[in-house]
Amino acid sequence: MDKPTKLTRRRFIALSVLSAGGTCLLSRCANQALSPWRFITVGESNLLDALVEQIIPTDDWPGGRDAGVTNFIDRQLAGAYSRYQETYRKGLLAIQETCTAKFHKRFEEFSFEEQTQFLKIMEGGKMEGRQWGDGFDRYFFRLIRDHSMQGFYGSPRHGGNKDNISYKMMKLDYPVIIGQNRYILKSDGK
Amino acid sequence: MVNKHVNAIVVGAGAGGGIVAKELSVAGLSVVLFERGGWATYDDSDTDELRSQRTTVLGNGYGPDDLHYKRVVVNNDGTTTTVLPSEGSYNNIAACVGSGTVSYGAMAWRFMQEDFKLKTTYGSIEGSTLEDWPLTYEDLESCYEKAEWEIGVAGDATQNPFGAPRKKPYPMPPFSHNREAKLMVDAAKRLGYHPFPIPMLRNSIPYHGRPACIRMRTCCGFACPVNAKCGTHNTVIPIAIGSGNCELRINSVVSEILVNDQGKITGVTYFDEKNNKQNQTADLVVISASATETARLLLNSKSKFFPKGIGNENDWVGRNLQGHAYTGAYGIFEEEVYDDFGPGASVAISDFNHHNPGIMGGGVLCNEFIRMPYLFTGVRPPGAARWGKEHKTFQRLNFKRVAQAVGPYQEIPKFESRVEVDPTVKDFRGIPVVRLSGTRHEKDIEGCRFMSEKAELWLKEAGAVHTWQSVGGGKGISGGQHQAGTCRMGNDPKTSVTDKYGRIHAVPNLFVADGSLNVSNGGFNPVLTIMALGFRVGGYIAGEWLKGNRFK
Amino acid sequence: MIMTRISKFTLLTISAILIVGTVAFSSFYNYWNTASPDKTCSSCHEIGQSVTSQAKSVHRNLKCKECHGTAWSNGLHSFEEKGMMVVNHLKNKRSENIKMSDEQLLEVLNNCRRCHTTEYAMWTSGGHSVDYQHIFLNLKHNSTEQINFDCLRCHGMFYQGTVRDLVEPLNIKGPWKLKDGKLAALPAIPCMACHQIHQDGTPQTRPDYSNPKTTFYLRGSAVSKVYFYDRHEKTEYPVADLPRLNLCEGERKVKVSDDPIMRNCIQCHAPNAQHQAGTGDDKTPRGVHEGLSCMACHLPHSNNSRNSCVSCHPAISNCNIDVTKMNTSYADSKSPNNIHIVSCNDCHKVIKQRKVPTIRN
Repeated sequence: MDKPTKLTRRRFIALSVLSAGGTCLLSRCANQALSPWRFITVGESNLLDALVEQIIPTDDWPGGRDAGVTNFIDRQLAGAYSRYQETYRKGLLAIQETCTAKFHKRFEEFSFEEQTQFLKIMEGGKMEGRQWGDGFDRYFFRLIRDHSMQGFYGSPRHGGNKDNISYKMMKLDYPVIIGQNRYILKSDGK
Repeated sequence: MVNKHVNAIVVGAGAGGGIVAKELSVAGLSVVLFERGGWATYDDSDTDELRSQRTTVLGNGYGPDDLHYKRVVVNNDGTTTTVLPSEGSYNNIAACVGSGTVSYGAMAWRFMQEDFKLKTTYGSIEGSTLEDWPLTYEDLESCYEKAEWEIGVAGDATQNPFGAPRKKPYPMPPFSHNREAKLMVDAAKRLGYHPFPIPMLRNSIPYHGRPACIRMRTCCGFACPVNAKCGTHNTVIPIAIGSGNCELRINSVVSEILVNDQGKITGVTYFDEKNNKQNQTADLVVISASATETARLLLNSKSKFFPKGIGNENDWVGRNLQGHAYTGAYGIFEEEVYDDFGPGASVAISDFNHHNPGIMGGGVLCNEFIRMPYLFTGVRPPGAARWGKEHKTFQRLNFKRVAQAVGPYQEIPKFESRVEVDPTVKDFRGIPVVRLSGTRHEKDIEGCRFMSEKAELWLKEAGAVHTWQSVGGGKGISGGQHQAGTCRMGNDPKTSVTDKYGRIHAVPNLFVADGSLNVSNGGFNPVLTIMALGFRVGGYIAGEWLKGNRFK
Repeated sequence: MIMTRISKFTLLTISAILIVGTVAFSSFYNYWNTASPDKTCSSCHEIGQSVTSQAKSVHRNLKCKECHGTAWSNGLHSFEEKGMMVVNHLKNKRSENIKMSDEQLLEVLNNCRRCHTTEYAMWTSGGHSVDYQHIFLNLKHNSTEQINFDCLRCHGMFYQGTVRDLVEPLNIKGPWKLKDGKLAALPAIPCMACHQIHQDGTPQTRPDYSNPKTTFYLRGSAVSKVYFYDRHEKTEYPVADLPRLNLCEGERKVKVSDDPIMRNCIQCHAPNAQHQAGTGDDKTPRGVHEGLSCMACHLPHSNNSRNSCVSCHPAISNCNIDVTKMNTSYADSKSPNNIHIVSCNDCHKVIKQRKVPTIRN
């Protein structure tokens, strides 16, 4: 046995503290309504759902929203993409601000076609307003586009591509069916 | 604790360093082999495209990591950007035992005779430091042969009439073609070209106790699940360790070369696994840390004897950085050409490597390694939608119908393309980081256009109904996984960094053995040449050592 | 005198604290083990998903601890692990895709066995109960093929290290040993390789005899009981979600049964990348048995043949060939009547030569 099983005093104290702490914490947790998100807010998730659905829309196959792309982005923002946290917070706010200032509606309340038009302006770098200066519109659009593609077409282990949906759409076997090369075992091949 | 003095230190356990370590240790020298990464295993990122060596968006599956490393890139407008290892402009080379040879596509090219004599063949080119190598193909032939047999290459050289002369065939038979490659073989023949199976550092039959390839789609950019891909990590490095003379120190980063008060190289300073700074002394030091990191180490080793860094008296260390301008074309076929038979690339034509009208050099053209789904989202004809419904439909309809013919154009070296150390930015250990600057030569794009036209023609002949070119060679820094040239070999110490055996001019016991030595980078993937240079440098040192030369 | 009073006082205080502490802890512990999961385990949202899926599963009537045990029953390390979860929680470190460790998994396996005695016994008697030593220390195999990372795709798929941590040396010379000798007799293909215990479903109940439909027409199929555990994604795929096999014999397309359970078998008993029949580990039936599912002949768990050949090919038939005297084994490469590939005329050669009067209308 290489795992320590002896209950040393130090371990006992550590464990007692942990369980006590755990008890307090768990009672607190249980009373809290838990957000399913790690970094983004529920409001931001609704906007992201609409955005990723624009990048990869539903057709005969599920789109970005149903494939869990928002979940992918949120998960990466809390991990590998933590360097983009500020950009997302700022960019998502800028989208909503632009929508509400001009049309008194949130982005996700527009029709699908209107949303597409909005993003085309963003992609072309033609957004008006201080918050979009310095090419931020194009930059943020590209970021959302690239991250959506990664979420939809990347490995499901990262939180997107639910049920391997993009692989199925592309008729790509997953998990792949490949056996080992078989050689004649030595005793047979004398 | 003081480390025991050894005969040789090798910095970097990649394509070059692994071989040098083996050559020296089996010759009886005591060796310490430093590697900044650890042992990479298939399980670390298996088939995960987003952490593969080709699409590193969520991090480098084979190192280095984003938390500890960074570089500075000088943009075309003179501003600088700090970049992370998982970002393309970092120009990363894997940080693990075996380095790029763990996850590469494993094409095993010998350069051609002309590649060693570019200046003689094409004359001087304005704005370029184009030069002949101080050695010829014939000088390197036996080293190429060693690389092919000791590391392991599958191929059939008799089918390539343009290949440089060789004494021995490949040790393993060539790989069979997938559906796409079969179409392209026939098309090339109809066009009068000379298609042949790409030589691969991959087992087509069991070799050296490792099994044959099982043809995964996730091969180029991924480690091998069955250990059929031949790298230094599963060939020469285990032999070196098994000799009992070589100690591999993983997760250890060499930060500086030690110089004593007589100006002699006495070893290196490094950060060990626990990040403690230590010294290791040796009779000689071989640096094989890649074109960027080798230059960084030399430039970071400043002392009163080497105020501009070791080997840098004439400001040549870090110069002539080059990679390859990848150029070619895509074609959409009516029928599916994808049959999920990996790794994809298997047919090549070498008809356009040299003697093309109006351009310097050229390059080999091949069908491409399988592009995984995310990589394919960037494959679109000009004007096609980059997102939305149309983009998704293209992905669904064409993933299995697109083929690509592509190749590395031999870049024209430029003095201004360079590696420096950044004056202010340091990595987490406080070592000044690499700073990359420069652009490709303006004439590169002409060569790329020429090759792309040929590639497009080839795809059309193969039956592609819609084709478009993807022309490489644009502005920007070139390096990437094929990075080379920063410690150029030469006979004249004023215009080169090392002699023809990779020894730094005027420093008797300091050698370089990696792509940094390349005077030019060939119209081919450079790894077999880097391996051959490893055998050359390692073989030279071992030979001299056995004769009693202690490089003092 | 004063000293004694102080120590008496201290002693009393300590014992009071101990008594109160023990009472508080045991009542908490008792509560923890009896209350509903959403008040206990699942209040920690990292495992919320597992609790939700369990509530919809065939095993919904079981309490977590009946399979997973309590913090005590799995030894101290699991208690420590739970503690670390709390620490991570406090540090706001979010754990994704919480999975059982290989050790925990085997502990659960022992609990599966408590109810599924027959299945366990059958599994034990079949090839899939093989242990680590018989897979990874097989001399004949290891001296021919180098053990590699991909071995763990189908054997030891829950092993948390890599093959490098499992066996040494990784070459064909040997001698080989398991780095951790404890593993030797542990099963390399446990229940969870093919079963997802939290899978959707309703517990079996007695049919409603007043309504014949529930007794006959609405019988569920066994398909949903099989899942494939993919080591790469650390995910169980329901068999219906697995890719179908397109198998070829040369240019000819082999007919492969559409039985979804067979897709699970094929993941490991797979042909080479070109999907050529008979290559790699492919055992897909061809010849006269082409199109049959593995399950047509093999029993689940033990993988024994469901019936002997003779039940379909009785010796009393007119051809007078005795199937019981044939070598039908697939394991013998020279077997003339290899059951996986045998064709009609492999057995009926004689009859073919005999002149049979043809009947024409």
